[in-house]
Order: sequence, then C-alpha cells, then structure tokens
Amino acid sequence: MTPPAALVPAMPHLLAGDPAPSWAELAAATRTVGDRLRAARVDTVLLLSTQWFTVLGHQVQCDDRLRGRRTDENWYAYDYGHLDHDLAVDVELAHAWADAIDAAGMQARRTRYDGFPVDTGSVVASRLLDPDGRGRWAQVSCNLYADPSAMAEVAAAGVRAASGLGRRPGVVAVSGLSSGLTPRWIRPSEDRVEPEHDRWNRKVLDAIAAGDRDAVLGMREEFAAAAQADSQFRAVAFLAGGGAVDRPGEVLAYGPVWGTGAAVVWWNEQET
Amino acid sequence: MARVFHVTAGSGRSAARRAPRHEPAPGPAAVPAGPSGGGGIVAGYLAPHPPHLVYAENPPQNEPRSTGGWEVLRWGYEELRRRLKAHRPDVLVVHAPHWITMVGHHVNCVPNPRGVSVEPIFPHLFRYHYDFRTDVDLAEAIVDEGARAGLVTSALREEGVRVDYATIGALHLANPDWDLPVVSLSANNNPYYYSDASLAEMETLGAATRRAIERTGRRAVLLASNSLSHLHWDTEPELPEDMGVERPFDHAQYAGDMALLQTIREGPTSRLKEAVPAHIEATSSETKAGSLTWLLAAMGWPAIAGDVLAYGTVIATGNAVVEWVP
Ligand SMILES: [Fe+2]
Repeated sequence: MTPPAALVPAMPHLLAGDPAPSWAELAAATRTVGDRLRAARVDTVLLLSTQWFTVLGHQVQCDDRLRGRRTDENWYAYDYGHLDHDLAVDVELAHAWADAIDAAGMQARRTRYDGFPVDTGSVVASRLLDPDGRGRWAQVSCNLYADPSAMAEVAAAGVRAASGLGRRPGVVAVSGLSSGLTPRWIRPSEDRVEPEHDRWNRKVLDAIAAGDRDAVLGMREEFAAAAQADSQFRAVAFLAGGGAVDRPGEVLAYGPVWGTGAAVVWWNEQET
Repeated sequence: MARVFHVTAGSGRSAARRAPRHEPAPGPAAVPAGPSGGGGIVAGYLAPHPPHLVYAENPPQNEPRSTGGWEVLRWGYEELRRRLKAHRPDVLVVHAPHWITMVGHHVNCVPNPRGVSVEPIFPHLFRYHYDFRTDVDLAEAIVDEGARAGLVTSALREEGVRVDYATIGALHLANPDWDLPVVSLSANNNPYYYSDASLAEMETLGAATRRAIERTGRRAVLLASNSLSHLHWDTEPELPEDMGVERPFDHAQYAGDMALLQTIREGPTSRLKEAVPAHIEATSSETKAGSLTWLLAAMGWPAIAGDVLAYGTVIATGNAVVEWVP
C-alpha cells in the first residue's frame, strides 16, 4: 500500500483572523486534507517542514509532546504570529525512522530537548490538519546541505519504519512553492504572486496533476533557480520518496501568501 | 556535500542585489559626548558565532558540556575581550544572520530579553540561558533612522521571540559577563528561499545605525556576527569537538578567505566594497547576510586596516575574529 500524501503551505497567514481570500482558501483545503487523512485511518503522519531546516544529518523529533507557544520572529505584530501548539509525537515510530535512516547509510540525529522551538510551518500545518489535536506525528528536519535527493531516501525510510511497526502512515510535506516574498508590509488584499513565478508554479502543479513523476522531478532544479523555490523544492523529493508524485495529485488550492506561491495537493493512497 | 549555497549562491536577482555601490559613503561626523566620554563608534569587530565556540568554552549559561576544541579561534576572542573592555563602550550593537526576518530590518526593543535558546540546528551544542538588557533608546533610534532612510523596519516589542544563536553567540564570545546593554538587529534574508541580503540596503542600515548612535551620544562597539567561507559538511563526527577532522572545506574556500583577510590586513576598508561581494561569489561567505557590510558602512568605511586576531574553521566554514578601530 502506498500511503496517502499531501503538500501543504508553511506560512502562518493561513491562521489569520482576517485572511486574504487566498489564505482562507489554502487553509480550508489544508483542513480538507486533514479530513481525508482521518478518513484514510492514518495512524501517524510522517511530517517534513522546510522551516525546520538543518545542516548536519537528518534530525528526527523524539520528544513525545511538543507543547508551547511560538512567537514568530518576523510576524509577531500579527495575530498569526502567536501560535499555540500541542503535538503528540509517535516516539516509537520516530526512533524506528531514525534507525531506518541510519540503516540506509545516512546520519540520523535523535532530537529530544526541553524547550525545543517547533517551527512555524509545523505548527500551522498541524493546527489545520488536526484541529482537535487527536493525531500523531513523526517529524524529520529538512537538511539544506544534503543533496535534495536525500529527502526521498529519508521519506522512504519513514514509510519502511511505519510498515515495520504496522502503522498506517500519511506523508505530508509542509513547504511553499515560489518565494518572491513581498519585501514590505502589505494589506491582505494586495497579495499576489509575480507573473513569472506564477507561470512556474502552475507548470509544476500541472505536471503534479498529470502524475508525471519524471517531469516533476526533472524540473525541480530549474524551478528552484527560476522561482527561488522554497528549499529548492526538497518537498517534492520527500513526497516522491514517500510514494506520491508517480500518480496524479489533486490540486485542492493554489494562491499567494505574501507574494510567495502556495498550494495544497492531495494524493490518495494506492494499492501496490 | 554542502550544496546549498554552492549551486546558486542566491538567485541571479539576489546576486544583482549584491553588486557593490560606488557612491562614496560619508565619513563619521563629529559626535556628542556619551556617558563614558567621547561618543560614537569606538570599534567594530567581525565576530563569528559558530555555536561550537560557545559549546567548547563550557560557560554556565550553556547546558551541553564539551572537552574543548577550536582553541585558536577562542584565544582570538580572549584578545577581543581584552580590547573591547579597553574601549569602555556604553553599548554593544550586533547584526546577526540567524534572526531571519523575511520582511524588513527589525530591531529588538524588548528591555530585558530572557529565556532559553535551544538551537534547532545544533540543539546538542547550544541550549543557552540568556538574560540581558537592551539599550531601548538606541534601539528605537535605529528603527527611526532606518525608516527615515527609506528602509522597511520594525521594532520588536513582543516578549517571547527566542533570541537566535548568532546574536547570543557573538555577544557571549565578545562579552561573556553580559555587563553591557545590547542592541540586536535582524538580518533581512532568507536561507530557505536562497535569498541573500541586499548589500546596498545594508549600507543604508549601517549609515542609519551610525546616525542613531550619534543622536543618542552612545559610545558603541559594533559586532558583525558572520562567518566567512560557508561550504561545510552535512554530517558530524561522533565527538563534535573532534579536531582530527576539522579542516577547511577545500583549498579554494581557504584561499578565498585568505584573499579577503589580506585585503582587510592591508586596508583601507573601502577596498572591501569590491572584495566582500567577490568573496561571497567565490566562497558562499556568510557575509551575504550583510552583517560585515553593515558594520563597515556604519563606521563610514574608514581608511584603516583591520587587525586579524584569529582564523580557524568550524565544521569546515572559515571564521575570522577581526578588529577595526577608527
Ligand atoms: Fe551562521
């Protein structure tokens, strides 16, 4: 069984009390993904957020409960810059995932520290995907210094670890598309993606919707350079490693968040 | 392998933003006397912040314990500390690349930032209990002068924003007693979008910082919290302080750092307007976050040489401790 998977946005604007239409649409689509993960009876979500970016090895969160309040270092002046979170971590799966990363010849780093700052992307995604806080998570960092293809191996290791424990996993990447962040304080109604980045985002999403894995992975590097894609679009490597991308993805929403491109994409589980 | 900044080193657009500007920056103006006598910028330091250096020192504020390591760089910092005290500053002003602000240049205006900074990238090395005072008047003056110069700025007044390791690292390594007020500035760049700081804006921010220091009559020491060459390993040895594996990433990175340091040692600083962007291009230097350009612009690109107190690598990145006294 290839697990269900999703790409969801990372920006906190999705939780704004007074959102731009695009932010509200992206938030609603992310909630829909949460409904579908529950309908698919997913036990634990394998989560990658590009905002937990690291440089040494692959960090796996091994704290059983990530509870606290995050004050975002850029968006603190807005309601969505203050984010309470309470994530239950599937510690058994986290350790198995770390072991599987090591076994695949990479370096896993088990992370369990009081006061560890959970990144904004993870908090935003978890609150929208799991508003009642009943879900369980296994979380890995995004190593920006490793080759992007390493994220595919990391995801595959997570799926293997989950199946070894008899878990039904979901695979979720929290990432934007193009960057091109608007470098000033704007009103939500002013939000838009610049045309060249918009063209690139749509091209990538079209290939994802067509289930054309080779095309999607083949354009990753060019997309990263042309549209300054979030973390060189390592998210798509992670999703591909988790078994998605080789079948049509359903684009549930696409739009700007402060000038960046953001999308919600869903892949159904598939019999193998 | 370290490819993150290797392939693109920012987009074409951000490379264009790095292009040096050629209009002459005004020199430091006469300034009113500060509380310690003789205000203005009394010294500037390139003060790199690898958390490894704090970890290696085993200060009481940091939870992890080490067996040492990176001694030559830390001896350089010991010399910096002696010199810094002799300058009798009223305040330390630090620009650091890991307080990442996507929109604009932010200044920490919280009077007493305190908490535990668990570093998400290096949590095994850096869990630092911090508690320091902000020079709020100067912080607000920098926000004000920056805005007047046309920059997007923001005054952080919210308690609870975690202070990053680049800010704490430079401040701790320069002044482990924490007995001086601080002003902390963010870096308007975004590594996960591969976007560099605009060096032209850093010149403007530097000039605004200088005006604010003059306006408030402070005797200030500036800290540019930047490493140099920035390709590094993507895994770590069992013992983080294993100096048996510590070395430059490759010869080109080392040579790029030496070329920059030679220019620094020869002076005048105006040569660095060309040399810093070239060094960024050659070595993905962390100065792309703009801290060094900010410092030199604030000092008015003085016609002096810098004094290199130490150089060493940390997980293969190049790091130099440098002093400029105008
Ligand atoms: Fe750094």
